[in-house]
Amino acid sequence: MKNNLWNILKKELRELFRDKKSLAMMLVIPIFIPLLVIGMSALFESQTNKSVEEFNHIGFAYSLSEEEKQIAKEMKLDVVEGKEQELEKKYQNEEIDLYVTKEENHYIIHSDGSDTSSYATTLVEEYFNLYKQVLQRQYLEDRNVDANEVINAITVEEKVVEEENFFANYIKNYAFLFLIMAITVSATYPATDTTAGERERGTLETLLTFPIKSRDIIVGKFLSVTTSSVITGLISLILAILSLAISKELFSIYEGVDVMYSMTSIFFAVIIIIVYSFFISGLCIAIASTSKTFKEAQSALTPLTFVALFPGMIAFMVGMNTTPLLSIIPFLNYTLIFTDINNGIINGLSIFLMIASTIFYIALVLGYIIHQYKSEKVLFAK
Amino acid sequence: MIQVKHVTKQFIRNKNKHQKESFYADEDLTFDAKDGEIIGILGPNGAGKTTLLRMIAGILEPTSGTITFDGKKYQENEIEIKQNIAYLSGNTKLYDTLSCYELLKMCCDIYGISEQDSQKRIEEISKILKMEPFLYNKIANLSTGQTQKVNIARCFIHDPKYYILDEATTGLDIISSQIILDFIKKEKKRGKTILYSTHYMEEAENICDRVFMIHKGKMLRMGTPKEIKKETNTTNLRDAFFQLIGGASDEE
Repeated sequence: MKNNLWNILKKELRELFRDKKSLAMMLVIPIFIPLLVIGMSALFESQTNKSVEEFNHIGFAYSLSEEEKQIAKEMKLDVVEGKEQELEKKYQNEEIDLYVTKEENHYIIHSDGSDTSSYATTLVEEYFNLYKQVLQRQYLEDRNVDANEVINAITVEEKVVEEENFFANYIKNYAFLFLIMAITVSATYPATDTTAGERERGTLETLLTFPIKSRDIIVGKFLSVTTSSVITGLISLILAILSLAISKELFSIYEGVDVMYSMTSIFFAVIIIIVYSFFISGLCIAIASTSKTFKEAQSALTPLTFVALFPGMIAFMVGMNTTPLLSIIPFLNYTLIFTDINNGIINGLSIFLMIASTIFYIALVLGYIIHQYKSEKVLFAK
Repeated sequence: MIQVKHVTKQFIRNKNKHQKESFYADEDLTFDAKDGEIIGILGPNGAGKTTLLRMIAGILEPTSGTITFDGKKYQENEIEIKQNIAYLSGNTKLYDTLSCYELLKMCCDIYGISEQDSQKRIEEISKILKMEPFLYNKIANLSTGQTQKVNIARCFIHDPKYYILDEATTGLDIISSQIILDFIKKEKKRGKTILYSTHYMEEAENICDRVFMIHKGKMLRMGTPKEIKKETNTTNLRDAFFQLIGGASDEE
């Protein structure tokens, strides 16, 4: 009698581990993490290491001067001369990457917004800068002015103080975001099964006739879903670490940089996984318990996957920094704090606020579900 | 003793797309069930039997009226009352992923039965209900009759004081039904209070000390089968029921 919370948890876990769909959600979802991490790395690599031969076919609707030809040769441009209509046709047939027309001293670059076209535009802009310099030099020399003194009046040098690999940070943070998404997806099925599913199967009525407090029923269900989420989270973390290690070996963009999580990052990642699992399990159970059927619960929980993903994604994109306020905003706080930790910033206040606010949200959500289970609506909501 | 006093249950349902209406599933029901007595709750489908028994089992809360078990109310003693109740209805389903043994063991754990007594109880019940051949089979793989036996076993496992049985023999073959009925009679002799709902009037006539006839949520009559038959000048409860509702069945 006194251990009915344990009895419910035992029953829920037994059901969870014997149900093929629940097991699949728990174990299969993390497999997507290596696919996403390695896939994204491959995409970065293909974008970064684009060979100049892939976007150097430039059409000129006028005859190039000797100087222009020389610059084009040095820049390895594949020059295609012709009339504007011919070049337009070639451009449409993707024989050239862009073409340039000329009206006296005004040059027009014709291109679209595609990746190849953008690369080609950058190349041609550089070509015109060099050509401008040649013309300026000629102009100054004709007037007996030292061109070097004017053109190189100032010099600029870039000195990298600290080697930071954009892609390495990006992939490490995204791997964690995928992990959060995996936990969210995997929590939805057991949460639905244990609430709306149990009602649909008719076993909830049986459960409610037992001498068990509603609180024990809810907390037992909540802990079983949390257990499943933590397992998914930990498997995902292991797979994320492995896939980062594989990516480092496979892709040259990570050469010479640290693409692995530090031990501190891993330690805090485990803490965040546990805290987030508690949070998302409570939320999923709350949503699912208000649904009349299994199907309705699944439909209600589907948007949660996107809700879990987007705040973190937007935070990465706009380069959001963690503040005390953001530390208590669910979904956003977990990814922001992990990003900080990944960057070597351990903000005790933010971590405390994240944990404290999560405990508050869980208490709120559990209180709501217990209230729901005391109401007969939960059993007969049809 | 179970005492039901002026119990009413009101539900809200959709009248149409935009309107809702309230209706009474049970209205002002009063009766009692003494220790060592089998009370038959009789009525057609939709009469309000299941709602009444759900309220007595503590799954639903009455809109008004009181239900007491030896003077104790759910509001103050929910866990203690449920500890002494066995509730079984056609709607109570079992966990498919568990074996019969695992389910019964889980029930023993929930009711606080010790390890040693659990084994003894499970063996005893399995023998009575002839469950030994499928005791370790998963519930998902059982026939309807076997499942119903397991359902009955989980109700009896903690040796409750009050039995609330809603269509307990539904889905069982004649032999299995007889096993249940014999078990109920035996429990009555041990001083247990049994509420037995059925729409099989003959079955009720055979085992019930008194019957509570209900129709459209309202009490028709309460008394021994003999008294009701005498009052309605009929030879069986089926005819007595039709006599009381004023002719042929007008079931919806």
